[in-house]
Amino acid sequence: MIFTLALLLPWVTGVVLVALDGRRRDVGWLAVAVLAATLALLAVLTAQVLRDGSQEIVTGGWPAGVGIVLHADVLGVVFAVLSVLVLLAAATHEVLAGVRIRAFPGLVLLLAGGLTGIFLTGDVFNFYVFFELAMTASYALTTYGGKRRQLRAALVFTAVNLLGSFIFLLSVAGTYRVTGTLAMHDVAERMPAVDPNAAILVAAGFFIAFSVKLGLFPFHFWLPTVYTGSRPAVAAILSGAVANIGAYGLLRFGPGMFPAQLRLAAAALVVLGAASLVYGAVLAVARGDVGETLAYSAIGQVGYVLVAIGVGGTVGLTAAVLYSAVNALNKTLLFLAVGIRGALVAGAFAVGALSVAGVPPAAGFVGKLELFRAGIVVGSPALVVLLVVGSALSLVYMFQVYQGRFWRTDPSAQGPASSLPLRLLTAAVALIVLAAGLWPEPLLAVSDRAAEALLAGVPTA
Amino acid sequence: MILAFALAAAVLFGCGAYMLLKRDLLRVVGGIMLISQSAMVTIIGSSQSRGRAPIGVQPGDVVSDPLPQALALTALVIGLATVALLLALVHRVIVVFRTSEVDELAAGEAEHEAALEAQRQADREEAS
Repeated sequence: MIFTLALLLPWVTGVVLVALDGRRRDVGWLAVAVLAATLALLAVLTAQVLRDGSQEIVTGGWPAGVGIVLHADVLGVVFAVLSVLVLLAAATHEVLAGVRIRAFPGLVLLLAGGLTGIFLTGDVFNFYVFFELAMTASYALTTYGGKRRQLRAALVFTAVNLLGSFIFLLSVAGTYRVTGTLAMHDVAERMPAVDPNAAILVAAGFFIAFSVKLGLFPFHFWLPTVYTGSRPAVAAILSGAVANIGAYGLLRFGPGMFPAQLRLAAAALVVLGAASLVYGAVLAVARGDVGETLAYSAIGQVGYVLVAIGVGGTVGLTAAVLYSAVNALNKTLLFLAVGIRGALVAGAFAVGALSVAGVPPAAGFVGKLELFRAGIVVGSPALVVLLVVGSALSLVYMFQVYQGRFWRTDPSAQGPASSLPLRLLTAAVALIVLAAGLWPEPLLAVSDRAAEALLAGVPTA
Repeated sequence: MILAFALAAAVLFGCGAYMLLKRDLLRVVGGIMLISQSAMVTIIGSSQSRGRAPIGVQPGDVVSDPLPQALALTALVIGLATVALLLALVHRVIVVFRTSEVDELAAGEAEHEAALEAQRQADREEAS
């Protein structure tokens, strides 16, 4: 019941709100209220899943195997809660600042509906449908602002990601051809019997599609233009919520459905992740612009997630889930803080900066710690050194930004302070990041359960 | 039959990729559309069985696999919607920038780059 409601609520209200004038305050607040309600429903669902194990619904009353399966396990609900939380923060931020186009609240709700669907579906093609729902909403959101920079950003984002979507679709067709099913659970079961050459091709297609979403090196080329061009709230949505599709997809399809192919490519994934990490960090240090530094930082940060997936096992996957969550919160906080001025903002930004660099007590420290543990498990000194270098570089570039923005008397950084509610909201997000760092047990335990759930669903080949 | 599907998909994808690399935005959209059609052909080609349409079948009839056809229909509708969105976006870009050439769009990027460089120069002067 709660499961169905959590999927339907944002979708239905989103369709209604798109038709209304979102620039009106009450429509904006209604969208925020619906997002809050969705978050509450997902929180209840998470509690149920943690207590009683994963839930499954077969749509339309069809027998299992014919109808589309919706499946809520720990991994899915964690990502759903996280993404809706990010959307809630970004939407509240924009409603407080004043929405500029009429479709904004409706689009955010549709995006929430699409993302929840992605994380709670148990069917590969259904995944594609929700995926396009979420992506179409985010293509439209990228144009938010309507200036030249936003239009250019939207064009690049749409063209590149549409291509990624079609590569995903090609792989879906391949999956059906080689396994004769589209239910994720059955695909995972039948995969070991599939011709290895065909399997690796299909897996590579999925990997490319999700890497494009995530902005991993060398599929990152679109990311800096888009993140710098779009408005801060939209950049927060793209990096905090939409990028989760990529991280979740890699986790769900990699260890969840193609474990043998993942093991085969593990070394390549670690190398790619490490390249992404170093490339992102070095370019972020070299950039002067706040938006661009954060964009390259995003490329570097997802490198950590890929390294963790490459390492694999319970330790690696726990680190990957945890780091994805922490990274989404960090990026949301930073992009929101960059857009506003006044007291409290510098403090909130500093918390985000410390979290990216992995300095306690911010949440980033816990994420980095898990990554180091993963590095030690594989017994690779080079990997641990690389992680340290990446963290050191992120400390350098984050404080370059901090210095440039909050210490220098630069005319562009000056101006009237933003309204108090806006600053309080940013401070609240900063508090969440701090709280997750000071009391990391819940997040750690949930990530651990998610990794276990992911590994438990895989038949041992 | 599979070979024909594979060849059709490959040719469509190749033409799409070629057009995608052109400098004119409308050609880029055309390229993406061709690639989407290549995905449709692949979906239809992934059918598990071939035969007559699965409508009013008698027991023992060989029917074609209905699932890929349902998938292709759904994917076509989604593809139509996204391509319409992309075309609207390109139209907006052409109206605002008064050009459909990618090069001229990139000029804006170069301006941003130059502004950043000027800022860095100012920083250096302040430091020295």
